[in-house]
Amino acid sequence: MMKEMILRNVGHRPARTAVCLLAVAVEVSVVVLVVGLTTGLITETGKRIEGVGADIMLQPPSASVYLAFSSAPMPIKIGEKLQQIRHVESVAPVMLQFNASGLEIVYGIEPQSFKAVSGGFVFHKGRDLQNPDDMIVDDVYAASHRLRVGQTYKLFEHDFHVVGIVEHGKGARIFVPIETLQDIAAAHDKASLFFIRCTRPEHTETVMEDMRAVLPKYEIRPLKEYLSLMTATDLPGLHSFIDSMIALAVCIGFLVIFLSMYTTIMERTRQIGILKSLGASDGYIARAILGESATLCLLGGICGVGLSFGLRALALAKWPNLSILITPQWLLTAVVIALAGGLLGASYPTWLACRKDPVEALAFE
Amino acid sequence: MDVRQAGDAQSDLAIGLVEEGKTTVALPESRPTIIPIRGAQPAPAVEALLKTEQLWKVYRAGRVEVPALQGVDFEVLPGEFVSVMGPSGCGKSTLLHVIGGLARATRGRVYVDGNDLAAMTDAERTKLRRHKVGFVFQRFNLLPALDARGNIALAQHIHGNGFDPHRFEVATRLLGLSDRLSHKPSEISGGEQQRVAIARAIINEPKILLADEPTGSLDTKNSTLVLEMLRQLNRDLGQTIVMITHNPEAAAYGNRIVHMRDGVIVDGVPED
Repeated sequence: MMKEMILRNVGHRPARTAVCLLAVAVEVSVVVLVVGLTTGLITETGKRIEGVGADIMLQPPSASVYLAFSSAPMPIKIGEKLQQIRHVESVAPVMLQFNASGLEIVYGIEPQSFKAVSGGFVFHKGRDLQNPDDMIVDDVYAASHRLRVGQTYKLFEHDFHVVGIVEHGKGARIFVPIETLQDIAAAHDKASLFFIRCTRPEHTETVMEDMRAVLPKYEIRPLKEYLSLMTATDLPGLHSFIDSMIALAVCIGFLVIFLSMYTTIMERTRQIGILKSLGASDGYIARAILGESATLCLLGGICGVGLSFGLRALALAKWPNLSILITPQWLLTAVVIALAGGLLGASYPTWLACRKDPVEALAFE
Repeated sequence: MDVRQAGDAQSDLAIGLVEEGKTTVALPESRPTIIPIRGAQPAPAVEALLKTEQLWKVYRAGRVEVPALQGVDFEVLPGEFVSVMGPSGCGKSTLLHVIGGLARATRGRVYVDGNDLAAMTDAERTKLRRHKVGFVFQRFNLLPALDARGNIALAQHIHGNGFDPHRFEVATRLLGLSDRLSHKPSEISGGEQQRVAIARAIINEPKILLADEPTGSLDTKNSTLVLEMLRQLNRDLGQTIVMITHNPEAAAYGNRIVHMRDGVIVDGVPED
């Protein structure tokens, strides 16, 4: 009977219910999409770096696992030292430059050494880098920026020519010759990192130990575990950002449910008087109101799940290079957060309802 | 003809038998049920089902005090149908609210089935109201989101015994509601709404039924129908009823009329 009363009350005011559901759905989708966007970008970047196909990555001392915070302080001749280490098959120096306008990292590479480490690009169209102003982009970047082979593209105030479109997943989305990028960055004969391929994957640990002996203070990371390294390491401000967005979403849900249930209590003053005249206890009335709030939040949460997937599809259609990772864990967390915020928002109206004088409530118009 | 005690008559089986005209009912002996009250003095032995002693109810509006009841002594015996009449503002509704436990008396005593309301907390009065008192209001006071069936079943749910389909069927059949149960209050007439309200009020077999101007919102035909049903509940089932009205014709349905004026009872006290 309680469930029937709750469901009928929810359905009795369809406009109010729709607004509540929408607010909770927005709350849930904000949490899911913000977290999904941040973790998606991190995860996708990590996967691309793992996708280079190298076994080890060498970075300067104290370098961040997040490559966007790297510069180019290593002499490129370190590559020669690395090549001499036992069980090292190939070494590829890479220069990194962060493209602020597109929020992308650009790789400056030596085509032959990069091919030796990665196994080479899979070309959809065009050819590899040959000239100083050549540029290769992956298919995702080409689609999102509508780039074609033969097109000129301005990057870092320099005109590049798109000569190839490749399959995504090998480190970056944009590749240019390392010498050109060194000129642009005024970092001649420098590299940001080195990718190292071992003769066999089983030699990775041995090579890493030998590298530590030669370059004791440098950051030496196995690429197999790169993604877990990225997700485990705190990006400066990331948790604070996520927590702030969650707090904002909870506030939205709390305020909407509070306002909704408060106006509901005012509207239903006489009904509360009726329940009291029938002998309903404060606990009964509280269960009815909180049950209605919980129902609205759960239904809104379900709508929010759908809204999250829908908005993600829209975002990816508009910006294909985005990565939004929606996980069951965060979907559940977002719904629980919405439920908790809603119940909190309904608590004061519930207290008000229980305190109402039954005679005054029955006389309320 | 089989004569049964009204204490037994208020069972759903008796309801069914009475409806079929197979039995008559005698007035019950008074057997009050005492609900234990924390810290209260033992209630005096009472014969009346309802009794007030020097009952006062004073409303305060800022610094102004408005005495709605001024020392009311009022008794209702089991099985009586008492009509309380008086002009607007004489305290009729206040009397009903206090004896029904919806409002607390300022001074004096109120005994319902042997329980002293004045000594009870809000929670205890709520519990007493749940188990022993049924209300019927002028404006029906049905929940608009529930259909007739839901409104009646709600009273059973609040009572705590769950839905009793047999009792439900008998009560709704008695009040002629069998084909209106799936309709919401907005879809049925005023008379039907009031019958739903009466069914809701009696479904848990309360000791006393309190009716506040039950025909105040009805036309003549429906008023007569509702009053006839109340009379039938009293006559055939021994339901104790206190009805408030300003209509002399409605008041005549009771077997005793009490007049109130300015917060006091002016006549209508039962003879010893």
